Amino acid sequence: MAGFPSRKPRNPLAAEDAIAGWLFITPALIVLTLFVFWPIFQVFRVSLFEWSLIEARGPFQGFGNFRTLFQDPDFEIALRNTIWFSVGVVPIQTFLGVLLAVLANRAIPGKTFFRVAFYFPSISSSVVIAVIFIWLYQQNGLINYVLRWLGFGTPQPPWLSNPNGVIDMLLGSFGVDNVTPWLAGPSVALLSIMMMNIWTTMGSLMVIFLAGLQGISEDLYEAASLDGANKRQQFFQITIPMLRPVIFFVTTLGFIGTFQVFDQIFVMTPGGSPAKTTLTLGYLVYEEAFRGFAMGLACAIAVVLFAIILSIYFIQRRFIRESGLE
Amino acid sequence: MSMRKSRYSASRRSILKASAAIGGTGIIGSRSAALAQEASPAASAPVSVVAERASGEVRLAGAGDAIGQEIIQAQLDGFAAMYPNISVTFENIPAEYLVQIQTAIAAGNAADVFFVQNEFAQDFMSRDVLLPIDDYMAEDGITADMYYEPLINAYTWQGALYGLPKDWSPIGAVYDPAAFESAGVTMPTTWDELRTALQTLKDSTGSTALALDPNFDRFVIFMYQAGGSITNEDVTAITLDSPEVTQALEYFYALYSDGLSATSVDIGAGWPGDAFVQGLTSMVFEGNWMFPTLNDQAPDKAFAVAELPQGPAGPGTPAFTQAYSIFAGSQNPDAAWVLTQYLTGAEGVRVMMPYGLALPPLPALEGEFLELWPERAPYLAAGEYATSVQYGPGGQTFATDANAVLQTLFAGQIDVTEAQAQLVAAAEANITLNR
Repeated sequence: MAGFPSRKPRNPLAAEDAIAGWLFITPALIVLTLFVFWPIFQVFRVSLFEWSLIEARGPFQGFGNFRTLFQDPDFEIALRNTIWFSVGVVPIQTFLGVLLAVLANRAIPGKTFFRVAFYFPSISSSVVIAVIFIWLYQQNGLINYVLRWLGFGTPQPPWLSNPNGVIDMLLGSFGVDNVTPWLAGPSVALLSIMMMNIWTTMGSLMVIFLAGLQGISEDLYEAASLDGANKRQQFFQITIPMLRPVIFFVTTLGFIGTFQVFDQIFVMTPGGSPAKTTLTLGYLVYEEAFRGFAMGLACAIAVVLFAIILSIYFIQRRFIRESGLE
Repeated sequence: MSMRKSRYSASRRSILKASAAIGGTGIIGSRSAALAQEASPAASAPVSVVAERASGEVRLAGAGDAIGQEIIQAQLDGFAAMYPNISVTFENIPAEYLVQIQTAIAAGNAADVFFVQNEFAQDFMSRDVLLPIDDYMAEDGITADMYYEPLINAYTWQGALYGLPKDWSPIGAVYDPAAFESAGVTMPTTWDELRTALQTLKDSTGSTALALDPNFDRFVIFMYQAGGSITNEDVTAITLDSPEVTQALEYFYALYSDGLSATSVDIGAGWPGDAFVQGLTSMVFEGNWMFPTLNDQAPDKAFAVAELPQGPAGPGTPAFTQAYSIFAGSQNPDAAWVLTQYLTGAEGVRVMMPYGLALPPLPALEGEFLELWPERAPYLAAGEYATSVQYGPGGQTFATDANAVLQTLFAGQIDVTEAQAQLVAAAEANITLNR
């Protein structure tokens, strides 16, 4: 924010600087205002109206759309699926990201190859990856082929068509039946997409963590080893604490990204099939806006999504502050 | 590419597009030569009266892959020769058609003439987005009875007509004659015969004979055949709680739970047509889009075509169609009408017939079409009794909900009674009834 004239400039030179600063950011500011700030403002506004997009805007609803939303069973389903998705994906992808970074940071042969190989999915189009995974998850796809070869048999119905909750299935094998939908866990279909998502993102997290690792001074490790700390102690007492800001950054981005998940659902399980077990909040926005002719309701979902993500951010920031990092 | 689209045959239009994309160039060469000789301009519809006062520019929007665009271009060439006063710009919307056309309408900037699929026609008509064309039709001497009735029904709303169908397809049966012969069965014509035939075929071939997915737009086959419906004709009441729907749901689910039908994903296919092409089943209930697929992916495969078996209330099948409609905000409605009547009239429709991607909407062209594609007679015959696939305004989100209900039923999580109750609830929550 260096270019912003926060106070009245004291001398002509500073004024000139300020003008130059504004000139430099003007093009970006115009683009951002037109395509980011204005649409965001509109989302909040439209969420208070009834509007089918193809008609003139309907009457002012106040919080009517939000009331409708909180009674809508689809909203509950989507919220549940999204939470399962996020809670499943973010910790695992972060953990794997750290693990990969630590491994790729060692002086092992072919280090560069592994770095590139793990990073590769992150720079590929998510749609392309989703299409490939549709094939992998097919009934006679590669994953089932490997399972058959290992003697596990073929899961039925196939991965992306199985609406049964994984925790429900697990409990069922212990004789516990009829758990509530919230406890049933993600469906096999949603889990399949979660696994793909983890595989896709862990590479980019690895790169971020690598940068973080290289920012940790060697002196610390040297001092620790002089004090007799073993590798494991060094990892938990030095590496992890020093990486904490990076972990905060990565998990925050992770929650934002997973709460907005849309494209993979759109490609792999359109309509949130099977049985709406992959219907997420992001997908519900699309469904209500463009197939349900309810733009106001769709914007209300987007506002709720925004509120959820914002509160996650604040909660996380609080945690970090309490652990004395900032 | 066709993978994602065809995986879920819920989106029939996508399959049509996907199969059109692969629809062989082989067929076109030979057949179009045959057609070129016989196309004589004076064959049917009179030249438009409205055209005498129409001129200027019109924009046309549609969704076409390479072949689809080629067809439209050929049609527009014919139009330019016939109506030189009107110039047409074609705007292709290759993906997410419904999203893009809605945003264009919201911006007041939609094309003068655009595609309207039966699935969302009622959503558009009930919101006054389309121009009623009854006056233009009267002026030009075009009557609704020139088209198959179910297709006209799809674009009729509260007594007015909002578009003319450009092409269509019902669901018919495509089967493997060799498998039928070796099992000693003939094409079944009733629900009971269908069950017996499927059982005999399964005993004979060792695999499930029919691929049928838990999609609402396949379930409606049985619902129409049992005499059931989603709403009454005026869309003033939900009628999904009728005993006819119960009967259809029980029959549909029993085919699956008794192992007489299988879902395409369970047997390792992308969609039912794919299962048939791969030889995984000996019969499918699919639309005209089966034929380009077969031609491209299994040109040597022998197949036979039949009308669907009849239900307790007689024959029934869903009709999928697409119309050209005029944007209510069009600045040049006269010229837009001239273009619409040309594209949906005999001249325009003839251009697409040799491609074989869809059926002609005009019964008058039946003879010409069957000369090109004689095996498709059972499909055209459905024009007599098909029902346009429409669930009322809000029908699209209803369809999403209904598909989820059927998937839950097939997963064994609910029974038929509960499934019907959930279908009724989904209809009540999504479909906007007329008051």
